Parts: sequence; structure tokens; C-alpha cells
Amino acid sequence: MGTARVVFDRWDGRYAERMRDVRSSAVRDLFAAASRSDIISFAGGMPAVDHVPAKTAAGAAHDAILEQGVTALQYGSSEGRPELRRVIVELMAEIGVRVTLDDIVATAGAQQGLDLLAKVFIDPGDTIITEGPTYVGALQAFSAYQPNVVCIPMDDDGMRVDLLEEELKRLGVRGAKFIYTIPNFQNPGGVTLTAPRRRRLLELARDYDIPVIEDDPYGRLRFEGGHVKPLRALDDDVIYLGTFSKIFAPGLRLGWMTAPKPILTKVLLAKQAADLCGSAFVQVTAERYFLGTRWRRVLQGLTRTYAERRNAMLEALDEHFPAEAHWTRPEGGFFVWVTLPEFLDAKAMLAEAVEQGVTYVPGDSFFPDGRTGRNCMRLAFCYAEPDDIREGVRRLGEVLEDRLELYRAFIVAGALPGRISEGAA
Amino acid sequence: MSQEKIAVLMGGRSLEREVSLKSGQRVCDALTSLGYKVLALDVTAELVETLRSESPDCCYIALHGKYGEDGTIQELLEFLGIAYTGPGVVSSYLSWDKSVAKYIMAEHGIPTPAWITLTADAFKEMGAATALDMVPTEVGGFPLVVKPSQQGSALGLSKVEAPEQLPEALLGALSFGEAAVVEKWIDGCEISVSVLDSADGPEVLPPVEIEAKSGLFDFSAMYTAGETDYFVPARLEPSVTEDVLDLARRVHELLDCRDVSRADMVVAEGDAPYVLECNTSPGMTETSLLPMAAEAAGMSFQDVVERLVRAALSRRK
Repeated sequence: MGTARVVFDRWDGRYAERMRDVRSSAVRDLFAAASRSDIISFAGGMPAVDHVPAKTAAGAAHDAILEQGVTALQYGSSEGRPELRRVIVELMAEIGVRVTLDDIVATAGAQQGLDLLAKVFIDPGDTIITEGPTYVGALQAFSAYQPNVVCIPMDDDGMRVDLLEEELKRLGVRGAKFIYTIPNFQNPGGVTLTAPRRRRLLELARDYDIPVIEDDPYGRLRFEGGHVKPLRALDDDVIYLGTFSKIFAPGLRLGWMTAPKPILTKVLLAKQAADLCGSAFVQVTAERYFLGTRWRRVLQGLTRTYAERRNAMLEALDEHFPAEAHWTRPEGGFFVWVTLPEFLDAKAMLAEAVEQGVTYVPGDSFFPDGRTGRNCMRLAFCYAEPDDIREGVRRLGEVLEDRLELYRAFIVAGALPGRISEGAA
Repeated sequence: MSQEKIAVLMGGRSLEREVSLKSGQRVCDALTSLGYKVLALDVTAELVETLRSESPDCCYIALHGKYGEDGTIQELLEFLGIAYTGPGVVSSYLSWDKSVAKYIMAEHGIPTPAWITLTADAFKEMGAATALDMVPTEVGGFPLVVKPSQQGSALGLSKVEAPEQLPEALLGALSFGEAAVVEKWIDGCEISVSVLDSADGPEVLPPVEIEAKSGLFDFSAMYTAGETDYFVPARLEPSVTEDVLDLARRVHELLDCRDVSRADMVVAEGDAPYVLECNTSPGMTETSLLPMAAEAAGMSFQDVVERLVRAALSRRK
């Protein structure tokens, strides 16, 4: 039998100041109260792990224990096993980045990399620069170290480097601790930073002497268009975060960081404090998995699947979303970013969407001030099947339509600027 | 030692969930230290089942916002035959809807700022947006306040200084509910007056003066430490203090508020007080106004909680 009993936090008031701004979102709590099996979720960016062949993964784990048991079950080195780093060197070479074993630290997902970098770089009150909107997990990792986060808007070509320049002029040389960017199929924006902008970003970073963190979880999930060279391929000073979560499985919690030697030394010290070393067992399993050739076909299959799902979502958006809404058309990755008319509040709309059996993440979650982006929403197409995606978008379109009816009444009366677009019934 | 079992209802799915959990926790602590058996309950799908199996002696309603303050939970508890703290069903509903409460107050000569109420349907179905030019004249000119008619904690509230800001403010308010109140902004000092029933009738507590540093006592000013200064008792002329105490008592009686209520007012320059709204489930957090007023009256937080619970227990069937 369920119960309605509340369990209080008896330790409230004794936590460190740094935890003050780190909170679980009220929206997430609302979801928890509303989780129903018939809800189509566009909320979480969960990889389609069911596409990873269980036998291959099991074989890798099996070999790890049986053939490498002594090392797999023992503590490892803090930077990660050399064999694993060799795999990473090759993965990096395939995307045009030349690094050596010594340039790499294996981390517990790229997420640990974010936390370690924040720990190493941020004092309370320091300024850091991110895209706006940006990855919630990054904001969460950074906010525990109490920075002042400056957000640079994006357009279809990624971060607006002209606006970055303006901000850097204001902040001055070394005016920020780092610039954090997700250049490929940005989370949540879905857009990709173009090659010219990548070069400009690096010029600016050099001119103002500010380190760049390149977070690249989705880079290998490209559906169309040509590969754009990573920032790290253009500049050895860039700190690069990679992950096995999207090319193998997030359950491994395995990622990596490459960075200039002095930074890596600091990161290693921070990592030792955090967990001594990563899981050797997981590392051996990943090595085994990537020693074979099967993973390439699996990754191709995954990418095809995501492409089908993206197509389903974009087609459904074209069909069911009102003309007043705009959205990005990602060439890869997991997410579509939808922008609604300025006066609509995607957070206030969420309760109704949940009622109708569909969820998304309201845009303000991706901004540190929790206010910007209220009229936006992130839709993840990576997890649901195409039919569910179409149905979910249809439901969401209905919710939107209801809200827009009011909005249009203002426009028709001339009370709000704008005009009713054609096709907006 | 009393060993009555009190179920403290809190949380729920309203937008004021977090605030309610804070109120609820403080109430639970107070009741525990008073020697009651305390049951902290979230308003979930299991609530009725839990209430039936636990059969508490009464419920303390520490809910704010929709379902907790609008008569819904009160109606349910009436049906289940469980006594509860605070005003009853009708009183809760009338106070919860700002527009309805204003109509009642205005009808009975209680000063409340000039206002109009506009519903989403009036815009969608009847072209109300074509009459927005009439709004400022109707309520006596700018600035205006636009707020959802049914919502607590000032969510969806905005101050409008010029005609072009009005549509946006209305859409903001209407994203929280079906009706929006557009009210004349009264420049002056914001005060809040709490009323607690006692054996000798309503006891009006000292007025609390609220000075938001941003100039607008909105959600963030309300719940962020340091964004607002409070003065208890409010820095008012003695005769004005008399007036606001009297108004609070009249509102409490007029809306048939049982046990507790909190009237939010503005005292305009020239000392004329206006009642903005009446709350039937006032916040009980550390920065809440009722506990602040009680303290100034020499009553501890525990005293307030105990008084409310004793009143509810006396209504046990």
C-alpha cells in the first residue's frame, strides 16, 4: 500500500553554503508526482541502449573478468588504464585530433570531467562563460562552486561569437575562468558551431587568455552534413571532454578529458580526492568492446535510428505545431529546441502537457537565472519510437494550440504586435 | 500530556509546493514539541487511504495554493468527517478567488483598489482584446497590477506602467488560470494584518509592514532572505493602525474566516488603507508574515499552531 507520508530533512540548516544554489528542479518533482506509463517523454536525453548487442557487451564484460581478472578487479591508475587511453587516442584521431596517452585522463563520464574542472578553476564569484541555453548537468556541476555564469546566445550557427566578443571586451583579459561550449548538436539547442565561428572563438579565447572547454558527447552522431573539426583539432590548449555514453553505453559511466599537461595535473589531483581512480573493470570492458570491429556497425545503426527519430519529430513538428513556433533542425545528436511566441510560458504549460500525456523540459531549466528561456522547450527525440514521437508531438501541438488561441485573440485585436501566420487556424 | 494525533497536510502538486513543505515542517516540529502525535502527509493519490487508515484527530492544513486554499481539501475533509484547521469550504473558495473576494468587500464598503476581471474566454470567444484601451480609464489610470484571480504567492503578477505592457501582463497572468484581475496600483506602504480567533472573538495581530527592495513584493521577494525588509508593528500613525486593524477584523468576519486569516493591504499616501486580498492559509515559513505578527503580539510559533489545532479539535465529530 502506498502512503502519503512526508520524510523531512532533519539536517536542513547544517549544509554548506555551496549547496544553496544546487537544487533539484521543482518541475522534476512535479514529474515525479505525475509519472504515468502512458506518458510519451521528450524530456530525458537517454541513449537507445537497446541497440547495443547484449552478447557483444556481455562478451566484453566476461573477458574483462576472466582474462584480466587480477587487474580488472584491482585499483587502477588515476589517469586510467594505458590500454583504454590507447583506444581513446584512436577515437580522437578519427575525428581529427592528435593526442598521446599522456594527454588523457579517463573520467566517470564526461560529467565527472565537468565537476573536476569546476573544482579546479572556480572560486565563488568567478565569472565563467557558457552558451545560453546550455547543458543542465554542466550548470549543476558548476553551480556548486558558486560562479557568476554569463550566457552567450546562439543562432543556427551556434554560439554568437560577435556577442562573445562584446562580453569579453566588457570582462577584459582573463576576465572569465573559462568558456564552456558544446559545439556539436548542442544540448539543448541542437545547433552546431560552424567552422569559421570555431576559429573565431579560439582567436578570442587566445586574445583574452581564457581557457576553452569543449564538451563533445554527440560529435559522432551526425545524420547529415560534413564533419566539422573539433576545437581541440585547431588548438592544443583546448580542454576536450569525450564520453563512451553515446558510442557505447551510459551505464558504464566512462568518459575522458584531454587538456594541457599542467591543467591535467591539477585535474588528476582533484580526481584522486574524488574517487582515487576509475573502475578498472569498466575500463577493461570498454577496451574489449572497442578492440573488435562490431562497435562501428552498432554506432552506424544507432546513428541511423536517431536519424529516423529526428525525421519523425521534424515531420510531426511541421504537421502539428502552430506556425508561430520555431525550432532548430539538428544535423545530429539528441535534441530539438523549440521557441514559442515570446509571451508564452512553457513551464506554466507543462502541467497541461502532462495531463495530455506528453512531457518535455521547459527552456528556463537551461539558463542559470531560471528566467530566460521561459518561452522555449527542449524536445529529445533520441529515446521514443517514431510512432510515439508522432503521437507525442500531436498531443503537444494540441496543448500549444489551446494556448495560442488566447495569444491570437490579442494579435487579431491589434493588442500585440505580429500577425497571424498563414495556416494558423 | 495531550496525545491527539494530528495529520499535517502539505506539499501537493500546486506551484507553491516548496513553500508548503517548509510551512509544514515547521508546523510538525511545533506540534511534536507540544507533545502531539504528528503525521506529516503529502497530498498524493494515497492521501485518502492514509487518512482513513490513520484516522487522525484532526488535520492541520499547511497547504498553499490550488486544492489547499480553494476549498477542495476542505470539502474532502468534510466528507471524510475529519476536523481541520482554518476556514471552511465556502469561506476558502470566496477568499481564494481575488475577484470574488473584491466584489464582496466592495459591496460591504471595505475599500479595495478599483479593478476589472477578464477571463481567457472573454478574449478567446468574445474579442475582449479590442477593449483593452478602456482598461486604464476603467480602473483609474496607470500604473496597474495584473494578476491571476486564483493563485497564491504572487505568481503571475506584474506591474504595468504603460498601455503596451498590458497585453503581455495579461497573457502572463492567464497562463496561471482562467481569469485575470487588473487592479489600480496604489502607491504606498504594503502591510499585512493577521487575525486569529480566540475564545473572545477575533484577535487582530499587529500589522506587518513589507518593504521589498525591488519595489514589488513578488514571489522572489517573498521567499528570498534579504530581498525584503519587514517592520512589526508597521510604522503607521496610531489612527491608521486602528483603521487597518478594524479592516482586517471586518474582512475576517465578512468572508466568514474561521480560526485564521491574513488580509494584505496597501496604505496609500494620505493614510487611506485598501484591502487587496484575504488569505485563508497563511504561510508559516521562517519569513512568513503571520508568525512574525504573532511574535510581536507575544505569541510564539508554537502558541499559534496550538491555538489553531485546539480550535480544530473542538470541532471533532
